[in-house]
Amino acid sequence: MSPNPITGRFESMAQAVAERVVALVVASLDVDALVQRGDVDKLVQRVDVDKLVQRVDVDALVERVDVDKLVQRVDVDALVERVDVQRLVGELDMDALVEQTELGAIIAKSTTGVATEVLDVVRAQGVGLDDFFARWTNRVLRRDPSALPVGPGALVPSTTPALPPGRRPSPEVRR
Amino acid sequence: MEPVPPAAVAEGRQGHYAGAVSRLVAFGADVGISWGLYLLGLAGLSFAVSLATGRTFSLDKYQLVALGVLVAWEFTYFAYQWSLGGKTLGMAILGIQVVDADGSPVTTRQAVVRTVVFPLSVVAVGLGFVGILVQRERRGWHDRLSGTAVVYSWDARAARLRWLAKQEPVAPRSR
Repeated sequence: MSPNPITGRFESMAQAVAERVVALVVASLDVDALVQRGDVDKLVQRVDVDKLVQRVDVDALVERVDVDKLVQRVDVDALVERVDVQRLVGELDMDALVEQTELGAIIAKSTTGVATEVLDVVRAQGVGLDDFFARWTNRVLRRDPSALPVGPGALVPSTTPALPPGRRPSPEVRR
Repeated sequence: MEPVPPAAVAEGRQGHYAGAVSRLVAFGADVGISWGLYLLGLAGLSFAVSLATGRTFSLDKYQLVALGVLVAWEFTYFAYQWSLGGKTLGMAILGIQVVDADGSPVTTRQAVVRTVVFPLSVVAVGLGFVGILVQRERRGWHDRLSGTAVVYSWDARAARLRWLAKQEPVAPRSR
């Protein structure tokens, strides 16, 4: 404020008058109508969101979030119920899992003995030859392997294909 | 040792109808095992008799008796093991199993009937086995007459995982 008492009083009055006038003007304004008249889209287009976001201190924002409280509000049971576990497991690449994780070492340690290896080899060779003969028999008999039952109903679902994927008969084989 | 061919065991085969090769090899193994045990038993008996009486004992002079003992022994070997768990020693090696035609466990009656009618498939110039190769459910005469089927009981998928686990030493993953 000015050191001169008279000037100072005028300044105070002017200040009071100005505040009053501004208050009256603002009160008389219809903000909604004003906003409606403005082109908000155009306004938003002019806003540089990237620049705006860059100015936001995300760390500070995250620090203010109470994660525990947030998690407590989540209904985990409902969430889990909505997850299709079967489909999830079906999508798992078990081969990669065994090869690339310690799971492979655990399996190798716990189950692999010489006898097991020998049996695996003998049985695998047997299955391979079984498939070979089955393929040729189906080819000769002009049978569609996918139409054949793969096993007794109580043991396998009827939809399972008779031969592994990629072991379909050649196109000339028809029912 | 030759690794397990991955393609042959790329998927689980438990409960699927077993093929002709696995069954033939299992039967061959059973014939070898049962004959080996029979000869071992005869040798043991001969040894025990010679110890007790000081005289040599042999069934060579009693061909009919020897044949009768052999038939009884083979009947016991197959019928007992099939009624017990659906598999003989040879079948256990090849990972296959006898089940009821609908997939349920085989009954004692079925095991006995199967053993009795099994020679029919052999006597008819092997015609009884042709069904294993060409029939939709891979069943031979003895299977159909006893109301049984032969399926894989071996978990091929587990074998493949064991094989994968052995392929590469697993290094801990660094993050």
